[in-house]
This record gives sequence, structure tokens and C-alpha cells, in this order.
Amino acid sequence: MDLAFDDTQAAIKDSCERLFARHAGPARARDLRRDNGCDRALVQALEGDGFADLFGADGAGPLTAALVVEWAGEAAALAPIGNRLLVAPALLAETPPTMVAVADADRLDAVRFAADADLLIVIDGDEVRVAARGDFAAVPVKSKFGYPFAQVSDVRGTPLAPGSGAVARRWRQVAIAAEIAGTARAALDLTTRYLRERLQFGKAIATFQAVQHRIAELHVSVDSAEWAVREAAWHHARADLAAAAALTACEAAQRAFQETHQLTGAMGFTIEYDLHLWTMRLQALRHEGGGPRAHARDLVRARWKENG
Amino acid sequence: MNFDWSAEDAAFRAELKGFLDAELPADFDAFTLDPHDQKAFSKAFGAKLADKGWLVPAWPRAYGGLDQSPWQQLILSEEMVAHGEPRTAQYMCVNWVGPALILAGSDEQKAYHLDRIRRGDVTWCQGFSEPDAGSDLASLRTRAVRDGDDYVINGEKIWTSYADVADFCFLLARTDSDAPRHQGISIFLVPTDAPGLTITEIPSIFSEGAFNQCVFENVRVPASWRLGPENAGWPIIRQLLVNERIGVARFRRAGQTLDRLAQMAVEQDLIDDPLVTDALAKAQAACDAARVLIYRVVDEKAKGSAPDLNAYVYRVATTRAERAVYDACMAVEGAGGLIKGSFGALQFGHALATGIATGTTEMQLNLIARDVVGTARN
Ligand SMILES: Cc1cc2nc3c(=O)[nH]c(=O)nc-3n(C[C@H](O)[C@H](O)[C@H](O)COP(=O)(O)OP(=O)(O)OC[C@H]3O[C@@H](n4cnc5c(N)ncnc54)[C@H](O)[C@@H]3O)c2cc1C
Repeated sequence: MDLAFDDTQAAIKDSCERLFARHAGPARARDLRRDNGCDRALVQALEGDGFADLFGADGAGPLTAALVVEWAGEAAALAPIGNRLLVAPALLAETPPTMVAVADADRLDAVRFAADADLLIVIDGDEVRVAARGDFAAVPVKSKFGYPFAQVSDVRGTPLAPGSGAVARRWRQVAIAAEIAGTARAALDLTTRYLRERLQFGKAIATFQAVQHRIAELHVSVDSAEWAVREAAWHHARADLAAAAALTACEAAQRAFQETHQLTGAMGFTIEYDLHLWTMRLQALRHEGGGPRAHARDLVRARWKENG
Repeated sequence: MNFDWSAEDAAFRAELKGFLDAELPADFDAFTLDPHDQKAFSKAFGAKLADKGWLVPAWPRAYGGLDQSPWQQLILSEEMVAHGEPRTAQYMCVNWVGPALILAGSDEQKAYHLDRIRRGDVTWCQGFSEPDAGSDLASLRTRAVRDGDDYVINGEKIWTSYADVADFCFLLARTDSDAPRHQGISIFLVPTDAPGLTITEIPSIFSEGAFNQCVFENVRVPASWRLGPENAGWPIIRQLLVNERIGVARFRRAGQTLDRLAQMAVEQDLIDDPLVTDALAKAQAACDAARVLIYRVVDEKAKGSAPDLNAYVYRVATTRAERAVYDACMAVEGAGGLIKGSFGALQFGHALATGIATGTTEMQLNLIARDVVGTARN
């Protein structure tokens, strides 16, 4: 075992930081949100640098792809990067198109990124159907929760091999967990800065122990999610690890939402302050793919019910 | 970044596991034995482990160890707790008493103590806490006063696990009352049969014989039993407590309980009950998180940096895991978890102790906050 970034990962981290500094960040997220859009240019930039296809690349692989998803979440990147970098390559033989949306057949009313998707992956029990643009209908719906959502209907498209459903669910759990880990990390970091700067009673609110313990507990949750998902990605989304990582990430998402808002006071209610750019997304991510209830069921099945 | 075990580590685990599977009954759990039976058992079993070199494999070869890596130390701890911790209290000697002696002991102390520990022939207890010095350990007041070639020790230690069965006590006492509080503490290696030392069991809700009170009345010890320089005890124990915090793979033991519990839920057709599913899954996820967070600490250790922040983070995570497993016990067993011998009744004590013993959760949170938000320590 070696838990440091290898040379490739360190180099990719550097490049991603530069890329996200140009193509992501709070200001870019605000621009895109104004007309319910998302960032095709960013995914194209990742494709251009070869970072969209790390999943099957020599010297990289799913873990490195998951790291990029984490970092993208941290940078408030507003694009279906987890779908493109993790879910689609696990299912498709050919290189996926730029914008990929993933939905469950029984939950088509609010699908992230569907209106902009070149490809829609629909998970239906054991089966997966893939529909190119034109083979499904997507009508944008309004939501405050950080992403563009659309209601999907009339999905045609082609089925993948039987059994693809489980593969898709496992990788989607890894993708969600990675995105939550990065997103929650950013909310935590922003809040720790706020706690140091905001003065009340003549001192930084970070000096109050009631505040410190909450931020420390959150730090434990975010670290838990981050490392659980890294391990799950390394082990190719092994069913129990992927579900556990998603469940742990959902706990972190919920705690991050509650604590960062509680500790930021009224400032956190404002559109002006950046916190919501991450926290509102955490709510959405927490419910994706059936949410904690589905992850819990998958985890119990993988660990104790399969093979007898 | 790589989460695979090396071939060497995997082989070590397999060999160790094979040995323990063969030597111990499937559901062995030393915690269910009373302390005296534990001691007899651990001496006999310790000798078997010593034959294999597996009692102190992490120690340097010069001291009879195998120079094993921190990763193998973790494997040892995981497999031992997964097999009911047959070393019982001896894990303490292995994890931190021995290393303390190696770090700071005189040649004479090393010669006398290390070999006993290595042979599995001895049990130690930790005389740190006092009635008025719990979390604020540095306020301890047990005094050791120099008198010629001896020290004379007076004071009271409390909550001392295994004191009633231990051969030696690793004792913290104040040797300079005028110095700043961290700079007036020394360590003494005191035999528990020293005249003037009275050990009394404190009845506990955890398990029989869980801890004791140790009263020192004019206990006279030669100066040569002091470990390290006078008044320099604090930095030594600070280093060792990190070992203690990650020394017991609690998440692994809790995970083992969870697997057995889930088996029971399957057999009793409870596994699809939504509350049971939820509790089991949360507990498993918490055990997995603690496991991967200890990997991070071990990785740091293996690379030679002193784990600090991440060891506290792990500690909080493993406490969450212990508690989540207890919640799962109660979800599956219900009132059955109140009965002696049930999963719940056993896990209850572990879940409660883990947030208090070896430093409370609040102290860990203080230390995490210090690093994360850069606030001064309380
Ligand atoms: C099962 C068990 C076995 C033990 N075995 C041993 C042993 O072998 N040897 C030994 O020396 N000791 C042992 N202990 C004692 C243990 O180390 C202490 O209980 C622990 O350090 C806490 O001290 P305390 O109990 O005096 O609690 P206190 O320090 O009085 O704390 C009480 C409460 O106040 C909180 N608190 C205290 N200070 C702060 C602060 N600064 N900020 C926020 N909250 C704070 C604590 O977190 C806790 O919740 C054992 C304890 C248990 C439960």
C-alpha cells in the first residue's frame, strides 16, 4: 500500500488545478447557473488534455479518474464529470461523448444534466439502456439545488448486456461519492476560513469550543468519504466498497450542509456568499441514485446476502 | 496511490491467520474471560506466539523483534482482535511499553524487561489517570521524592485496567512540583507487588475486573527503575500515546461482531427490515471508513513521519464505528441485546469505553480543531 499520489497523479493534480482555475470556480458556476446551463467547454478541455479518459489509460485507471472527479467538485465545476469519467467508461466499449447523464428508470422527473446530454444512460434493475440525443426527451425543470435538472421521458435507445445495471450502479456510487468528497471539502475549507475571520464577542468564532467540535466532526466525515471513495475506485467499484463509500459520502454531505450553514449564520443564506455553490449541490448528490436508502440496501446485499 | 497489500504482507496475514484459526476456537473472545483466566491464557498463548516471533515482530531485531513494518504491525493487530485478542493485556507491552523501553530505557532496564515482554511472560498496566487528573493528565499529583538512591512514591492512580493481574505498572509521577507542569513528570517501572502499593478493584458496568484503584503509600523504588531522565517523562509518553491510539484495531473487532450479527439477521429473516438494513449498512460503512483512515496513519508511519492529526481523525472514526455497531446490535437483537453473552451486551461496553479510554473523543476533537482551524489548544 502507498497512499501518496504517484507521479502521474501529482502531475494531473497540478494540471487540473490550472485548468479549473481557468474553467471552473465560483464565478464560472454563477455564470452558468444564471441560465440553468452547464460546462461543456470544461469537459472538452478535460478531453483535450486526455483527462476524460483516464479510466482505461495505462499508468492511470479508475482511481486517478475518481481523483479528477473529486477535484472538479472541489472547484465547483458544473458538468457531469463523474458520469463521463467513471460511469460511461465502465459501461461502454467506445469513447463516450462529452456530456453524459445517468438516470434511474423509476426516477426520471429530475435528472441532472439531462437537457445538455449527448448520451443518456438509464438504469433499470439489471438492465441499462443508452440513448443518444434525439432518442429521449428532456424538459428542463427549475431547482435551486445547484445543478441543471430536466424531466426525462420517451427514452428509446439500445439495451446493454444483461447485468450492466449492477455495474452502472456501482460506478455511479463511486462517482457520487467522489463528487461529494470534493464538494464537501470545499464547503468545509470555506467555512474554516470564515470561522477564523468572523469576530464576535471580540474574538474569532473559531475560538469557541462548541464551534470547534462541530468543524472537527465534519473534518472526520469528509476525510472518511474521501478515503473510502479512493479505496473503492482502486478496487474497481467492488460492490460493498462502492456502496459503503456512497453511504459514508451521504453522511458527510448531510453533515457538511448542516454544519457549514449553521456556522456561517445569516451570511450563508445569501446568494452573494459562495457557500451555497457547493452546499446546495450536496443536497442533490445525497439523493442521487436512490440516496442512502439504496446505498444501504446495496451494501447489505453485497456483504451479507450474495453467495448464500 | 495503491491500496493493494504487498505479496509479503498478504503472505504474513495468511500465515498468521492460519496459525490463529488452528490454535483458537472459532468464537474465541478473551474479553469474555475473567481477568485471572485472561492472564493465564495470555501467558500460555504468549509463549506460542513468542516461539513464532509474533509477539513483538515490530521491534528491531537487536531487541528480539523481526523489524516488521508498520503495515505488518497493523495486520498483526487486525488478526489478533479478529481472533478474540488472545494476547489480552499483553498488547500493551507490545505496542507501547516495549517501544518506550527501547526509546528511553537503560541497558539494565532493557535487559531485564524486554526479554520478559518478548517471551510473553509478563503483563503491564498503565498508571496514568488520577482522581483529579483525567483528560488533564499533566495535572497529575502522585509524587516521587528522591531519597538517596531511591524514590519514595505517594499518591493515587485510578481506572487502571489490568492492575490486579499485572506484574508491572508503567507509572507517571511528579518529580518536580515547581517546574512547569509538563516538565516535572517522570516515568517509573514499578512492580505491582511493591510494598506500600494497594490495588483495589473498582466494580464497573463494562465487565468484571475492568479497572482498579492503585494507592501508593511510601512505595520505595530504586532510582534505577526510573525510565529516562528525571522530569523528562512527558515527551516520551506523548510519542507513545500515538502508538496506543492506533494500536488496537477496534474497527476490525467491531466489524467481526457486525458480520456475526448480520449472519444472525439473515438466519432470523430480519435482514430486509428497513431499520435493520439501515443500521447494519451504516455500521459497515463506518467500519470501512475507520479501516481506510488507519491505512492513512500507517502509511505516514511507514514513511517516517509522526502521525498526529490523522491519528486523531482515525480515533474519532473508529469510535463512530464502535457506536454504529452497537446501534446495529440493538436494531437486530432488540431487548435480547440486554442479556449477558448477546452481541449487544458485549458491544455496549466497547462502544462506551472507546470514546473515553486513552483520551476522550472531546480531547481528540480539540486536537483536530487545533490543526484544522488553527486554534490554540485548550
Ligand atoms: C474502560 C476504561 C479503561 C481505562 N483504563 C485506564 C488505564 O489502564 N490507565 C489509566 O491511566 N487510565 C485509564 N482509563 C482512564 C481514562 O484514560 C480517562 O477516563 C480519560 O482520560 C478521561 O478522564 P476522566 O475519566 O477523568 O474524565 P474527565 O477528564 O473528567 O472528562 C469528563 C468529560 O469532560 C470532557 N472534557 C474534559 N476536558 C475537556 C476539554 N478540555 N475540552 C472539552 N471537553 C473536556 C471529557 O471529554 C469528558 O467528556 C480508563 C478509562 C476507561 C473508561
